[in-house]
Amino acid sequence: MQKLVLRFVYGYIIRVFLRIIVGVRFADARFLLKEKQFIIVANHNSHLDTMTIMASLPRSIIHKVKPVAAADHFGKTKLKAKLSNYFVNTLLIQRKRDKDNPANDPINRMVKALDDGYSLILFPEGTRGEPEIQQPLKPGVAMVLLQRPHIKYVPSYMKGMGKAMPKHDSLIVPFSSSIVFGEPKEILPGDDVSSILTRMQLDFNELQSEISTP
Amino acid sequence: MKNIFHMDFMENKDLMILVYVILGILLFATLLFYIVGKLKPQAKLGELKARTKSWWVMATLVLGATLINTTACYIAIALLSFVAFRELYSVLGFRESDRRAIFWAYVAIPIQYYLAYIKWYGAYIIFIPIVMFLFLQLRLVLKGNTTGIIKSMASLQWMLMLTVFGISHMAYLLSLPNLPNYDAGGRGLLLFLVFLTEINDVMQFTWGKLLGKHKIIPKVSPNKTWEGFIGGVISTTIIGYFLGFLTPLSVVQVVCVSFVLSCAGFFGDIVMSSVKRDIGIKDMGASIPGHGGVLDRIDSLAYTAPVFFHLVYYLAYPSVC
Repeated sequence: MQKLVLRFVYGYIIRVFLRIIVGVRFADARFLLKEKQFIIVANHNSHLDTMTIMASLPRSIIHKVKPVAAADHFGKTKLKAKLSNYFVNTLLIQRKRDKDNPANDPINRMVKALDDGYSLILFPEGTRGEPEIQQPLKPGVAMVLLQRPHIKYVPSYMKGMGKAMPKHDSLIVPFSSSIVFGEPKEILPGDDVSSILTRMQLDFNELQSEISTP
Repeated sequence: MKNIFHMDFMENKDLMILVYVILGILLFATLLFYIVGKLKPQAKLGELKARTKSWWVMATLVLGATLINTTACYIAIALLSFVAFRELYSVLGFRESDRRAIFWAYVAIPIQYYLAYIKWYGAYIIFIPIVMFLFLQLRLVLKGNTTGIIKSMASLQWMLMLTVFGISHMAYLLSLPNLPNYDAGGRGLLLFLVFLTEINDVMQFTWGKLLGKHKIIPKVSPNKTWEGFIGGVISTTIIGYFLGFLTPLSVVQVVCVSFVLSCAGFFGDIVMSSVKRDIGIKDMGASIPGHGGVLDRIDSLAYTAPVFFHLVYYLAYPSVC
């Protein structure tokens, strides 16, 4: 049931809303069908980011992709957690590592979701921040990739979302925005956290210049 | 169901003639580029072909919306205003504190078109120039950020006037009352306006490419030449004369109106060119392949629609003036 709801909501309703009302230019994401599993890493400016990535996915795999979200924000109350788990298919994690309780540790939980066959959407900046300004990447994504090196990451960049719906404001004011995807990439043997993050930042920079010159 | 798909335009000879003319032109252009492309493979026709393809889509949408269902036509034109407004807002660099006022400006779009739909001329004609003009400034002031507020006040009102007030005159053509001995009605006027404006763009472009030498205003738009302008004005006036049957105007009137329309189209074009030049972009968007954004296509309509509407309103509808 949830599978059909997610497909219908993101594949049709939200996609049409984003396309016609907000003015999002989508990129073709059918290449994701060739990957069995992947981690989409994207820049983060707005609540619309998750919606836009979910709506860009090919409809047949929407239910297999979990956006990773902060439990302190989206799991504040039980109802909020339930709603975001059902309608956004989120994987709620806490922001800090948990050494005492490995089952609750954010890295372990992401790895477990991958082992369960899900793909992930991650925002390595951690938070939305000031509109349209990138923040330093946090190491969590690199740690997950180091534990499951055969899974590819797909860099994605969005522009304009922070203007259409910035942090601290729940009002959507339509603003022409767009999303682009980069090539799926595996990490290299001998990579460590900082080399992965450096390369990811380069991927973002490249996509950023691609999106500004259509 | 019967009302939605009531094809009464099929029985309207005047409207059907224009439909055939448009299909004929598009077929001719498509065939021409196809044959030239076969004969001269080195000629760069990619952009022209993309443009023609987009013309097919736009012509189908405009004809479909105008002829099949009048209500749908109001919605379609409102959507056009909305997209053009959004394109402009997205490139003009507003402040974050302007978002609330911008939101209300978006809300004004359906209201303006609703006023046209219910034929309330008095409210329709003052809503944006007076009501929104006074309200939006106040909304900006209430936010309390005064740094750069003059620019925001001015650009916001300018955007609304150009993309919503101007374009909404297309919709009000559909709301004009019926005249005795004039069958084509508001739809005829609307198609006359859109067809003449677009053919004017094409004619100015074509004459400019063929004969263009003396630049009119090189600092704004280096492609605009006197030859293109004059050739365009003459061709458009002649075409307007032959399409006069779509309007309730007399022969002299229709020739004068077509002449003014052609000049207005050119002015709208260069006004938008200067704005793009100021921002440093080539196109307003990428929603229409070969043409750019919606606003790149309707920039001349933003000028011709109000000019045409008020000329016709004055000349042919004296009883309601």
